[in-house]
Amino acid sequence: MGPLIPQEIIAEGWNFFIAFVVGVGFGFVLEQAGFSSSRKLAGVFYGYDTVVLKVFFTAAVTAMLGLLYFSLFDWIDLNLVWVNPTFLWSAIIGGVIMGAGFIIGGYCPGTSVCALSIGKIDAMIFFGGIFIGIILFGETYAIIKPLYMAEYLGNIKLSDVLGISQGTLAFFVIIAALVMFYVAEIAEKNFPRKEY
Amino acid sequence: MLTLKRLTAILFGLGLVIAFVPENTTKPYKLSAADMLTEVQFGTQMVSPDELADWLINKDPSIQLIDIRTPKEYEQFHLEGALNIPLSKILDDEWVDYVDQGIKMNIFYSNGTTLSQEAWMLTRQLGYENNYVLQGGLNYWTETILNPSAPSLFSADDEIAKYEFRKGASQYFGGGGVKSSTSQAKSKA
Amino acid sequence: MKTKYMNPYLAGVLLGLVLLSAFFFTGRGLGASGAVKSLVVTTVDVVAPEHTAESGYYSKYTGDGKSPMKSWLVFEVLGVLVGGFLSGALAGRLKLKVEHHPNITSKKRLILAGIGGVLFGYGSQLGRGCTSGSALTGMAVLSLAGFVTMMAIFGTAFALAYFFRRNWI
Repeated sequence: MGPLIPQEIIAEGWNFFIAFVVGVGFGFVLEQAGFSSSRKLAGVFYGYDTVVLKVFFTAAVTAMLGLLYFSLFDWIDLNLVWVNPTFLWSAIIGGVIMGAGFIIGGYCPGTSVCALSIGKIDAMIFFGGIFIGIILFGETYAIIKPLYMAEYLGNIKLSDVLGISQGTLAFFVIIAALVMFYVAEIAEKNFPRKEY
Repeated sequence: MLTLKRLTAILFGLGLVIAFVPENTTKPYKLSAADMLTEVQFGTQMVSPDELADWLINKDPSIQLIDIRTPKEYEQFHLEGALNIPLSKILDDEWVDYVDQGIKMNIFYSNGTTLSQEAWMLTRQLGYENNYVLQGGLNYWTETILNPSAPSLFSADDEIAKYEFRKGASQYFGGGGVKSSTSQAKSKA
Repeated sequence: MKTKYMNPYLAGVLLGLVLLSAFFFTGRGLGASGAVKSLVVTTVDVVAPEHTAESGYYSKYTGDGKSPMKSWLVFEVLGVLVGGFLSGALAGRLKLKVEHHPNITSKKRLILAGIGGVLFGYGSQLGRGCTSGSALTGMAVLSLAGFVTMMAIFGTAFALAYFFRRNWI
């Protein structure tokens, strides 16, 4: 029954090795899907390349279903799986700033590493930018701290907020994702762009 | 080939099932029945009234008494420093940080041993540690500590030593061999 | 020469399985910005140790001789580097270049990439994670923060897309 390391079913010493292997899988799949190209990544916002949407939501839904089915078969204890805490304002505003960074820079941290691994210089610059952005945050921390810590709602799940079961929420997310996929297919047909 | 059509069928199907199947909310048991039996037979979770008296007199900060009787009984009388977690609520989220922790020694007590033993079994099955049971509960506590019986003239040395200890403890806890005014009549369980 | 990419749905399923295995082994999901943060903290600590000690933000990661580089995410991101390289090598996509729209210069692209990076760096700290760590991982566990962050990122990018269209289409 997982998760294995927190329950000491396998030794903690394996943690970093597993992290590395997981990362290799992550990077490999990302690059295979084309996330090493800023042009493909930005494409979802203009309709000509919706790979981001398809991969992102398929991955989220796969893992979501995987966790729920594993829990059903007693293969994982969901109480021991980390649920990232919600600090409402920082989630929203941080997200907005990241959204701007995405459309301007064409990458996110994970994809920038993936892209720079195959030689994309713009990804290297982006990565350098992340470094600076974090320093900026560290230096102005005192100013932003009240916002950073505001509206702490705990490690809350959306299903708790909506008062529905996790399975039901997963079903709705699946429906939403499928709808988006169909729209994406139509968009790609209508907004083709040359590869460069 | 994973086309959108096929993906839709798979995801829709899996999603429908997971939405309707009831969630697995049972907390997993960490100890098998055989393990539990072994622990029960060894009785290492038991704490005798003498031990408890000793710790209380020395104001041992690492113990935490937990009164698992009803709030009404708790209000009538409880050991000093005891927390009231009624047995019916012992698995509630509200108390999980008290019964599942690694800092203090929790000592469950009730009027006798049965109910506090139950509390111990429930929490032990979930893998919680550091929980103990006051042997004989408040009834036995009253009998041995508050109103210790004098040993006969022919008792062994350690019996006499035990009695002396208990006499002292009794005075500390306000027993003194006298039936105290609060209703500490022997109660069931 | 057109390069071949994997079917996006298949890639999504595989990525989901990678994420699932991370949960199964460690109880936590993926991430990326956290590793860069570790890099930043280490660098600042080497350059100006008194600064990290008195900073409300950096000190959390350097007290008691903790080494911020020995973190799960750092190893994971190193893996991403290797995995991406392997995939690129297999697909024949290894090439040192600046990818940009033909109507803008390399220089402009690099400046935009830099600005985008700074914004993402700052935003990821404020938002407590990036698309991999907060949005993707968060959504998989159904966390509220995951959904909120995801919607904020994508919503904002869509809203601003019009203003930056010349750089992409």
